[in-house]
Amino acid sequence: MTAGAEGRGEQATTLTYASVSGRTRRRLVFDRLIPWLLPLAFVAVLFPLFDMIFWVAQKAVPTFTLATLTETQVGFGGGLYSMILGTLILIAIGTAIATGIGIAAGFYTAEYAPPAVASFGRLAGNILAGVPAIVLGYFGYYLLVLYTNWGFTTLAGGIVLGIFMVPYVYRTTDVALTGVPPTQREAALAMGARPRQYLLRIAFPIALPTILTGIFFAMALGLGEAAPIVYTAGWSSTPITGLMQPTSFLTGAIWLFYDLPPSEGTLLTLAFQAAFLLILIVLALNVIVQLLSDRYRRRLQGLFE
Amino acid sequence: MSAESVPNPNGVALRVRHLSVRARDRAILTDISIDIPDKEVTAVIGPSGCGKTTFIRSLNRMTETTHGLTVQGSVLYRGQEEIYSPSVAPVLVRQRIGMVFQRPTVFPISVYENVAFGLRLEHQPEDRIEQEVEYSLVRAGVWEEVKKDLDRPALSLSGGQQQRICIARALAVRPRILLMDEPTASLDPVSTQRVEATLEELSREISIVMVTHSIAQAARASTRTAYFYQGRLIEEGPTEELFERPKQELTEEYVTGRFG
Repeated sequence: MTAGAEGRGEQATTLTYASVSGRTRRRLVFDRLIPWLLPLAFVAVLFPLFDMIFWVAQKAVPTFTLATLTETQVGFGGGLYSMILGTLILIAIGTAIATGIGIAAGFYTAEYAPPAVASFGRLAGNILAGVPAIVLGYFGYYLLVLYTNWGFTTLAGGIVLGIFMVPYVYRTTDVALTGVPPTQREAALAMGARPRQYLLRIAFPIALPTILTGIFFAMALGLGEAAPIVYTAGWSSTPITGLMQPTSFLTGAIWLFYDLPPSEGTLLTLAFQAAFLLILIVLALNVIVQLLSDRYRRRLQGLFE
Repeated sequence: MSAESVPNPNGVALRVRHLSVRARDRAILTDISIDIPDKEVTAVIGPSGCGKTTFIRSLNRMTETTHGLTVQGSVLYRGQEEIYSPSVAPVLVRQRIGMVFQRPTVFPISVYENVAFGLRLEHQPEDRIEQEVEYSLVRAGVWEEVKKDLDRPALSLSGGQQQRICIARALAVRPRILLMDEPTASLDPVSTQRVEATLEELSREISIVMVTHSIAQAARASTRTAYFYQGRLIEEGPTEELFERPKQELTEEYVTGRFG
């Protein structure tokens, strides 16, 4: 062997990118691209959010005053008062319905239902969550507006919003309760607790932070929906006077005013202000739920080891 | 307490006769007959899978909380009352015959509320609860360590303290019998020693049945020992006798550490 330099040179080229070709080469190059591609995807996720907030705020903030919140829209002027009121009442009805039914149904499938019924319930919940909001809107229109002869009412809007929200509350309740360590159940039963006592005294407090997250998440989604309520709650520019009256609401303002013929001026501004207000409310909901569940979870530290 | 006023002439806490437990078509326990004496610590030993945990769970009807288990035979509370009789309330059985688990199972509430749990289920008045909580913590040998932290979350205590809180919680409803499933398996040696000292103290008043995988612990902490193998009770008797002069070859092999 002439060995020496020649041998060493050969070994060196087996370690460089140039020394491989074809699929291996492509794989190596792709590996090097990953640290650049992933942050790009991350930015692509965040960009629309911040761009949207910036765009809405830019149009809404300069003209946003206290009167925007307290005055009723008349013609091309006024504020969002009647829509804020309508949205708050609609979401209150929806939340009450979704929380009551969702938590009760979650209790049932997590603790009492036979396994087959429970898994059917979970499937049904997922399907309901997947039904397009516009379909729920039409369903509500036929059932609660036409069939009942109510016409457009705030109550119908709140009920359909509740149906829209219920699968989220149900699902998180079920997941949270079934996630309670089985040893807690054993310990409670061994103390002579009955299933209902175990549920209310032990499992529910443990599951509560998760359930609250589900409720707030459902509220945030419900607040942003227009489809389930435009066909049921109708529209009325004057502030709501009763649950059997139609009402206006914030998402309706965005939907109606953005494309209305004079698509400039006050009504367009009102649409942006409604959007801005919704963004603020949803943001606040997110912050509240984060703070609440952090506080509760600290209390549960060590339970889920 | 009403349980104390019932005479117990024979000194038997639990009389087990022809007890068999099956999981569908598999036998877990076969034809167990044994008397658990009053005011003693009975250790239940045997290799993994021998049925010792199922055995103590069948003594307060906890077997019912697991799907698919069927129990045959009889378990007589204080040698007299059949716990599997249809007229017996499992809830009352579990109050008289308490249970402590392998790992501490404190609830995510305060130390005080943990110990008060069983009393609250009975809707006891607050002053009674307060007395019982303190007394139970004293009996469980953990009062001195936690008396200033009664409002702290029980989960923030050490594992050894948590386990003694669980013992106090079981004691608060004044059981006559305490079943313990490897109560020190997840504890360090110092905590283990404390729990064992607690057991000795408790056995002056109540009967304790303790599953343990540690032969040394059985020898240290029990007055009687029962050896289980493959779902059968091979031998039982005073601990000293069983360890020094076992009658069965299987027992001797196990206690001398030749297998298991």
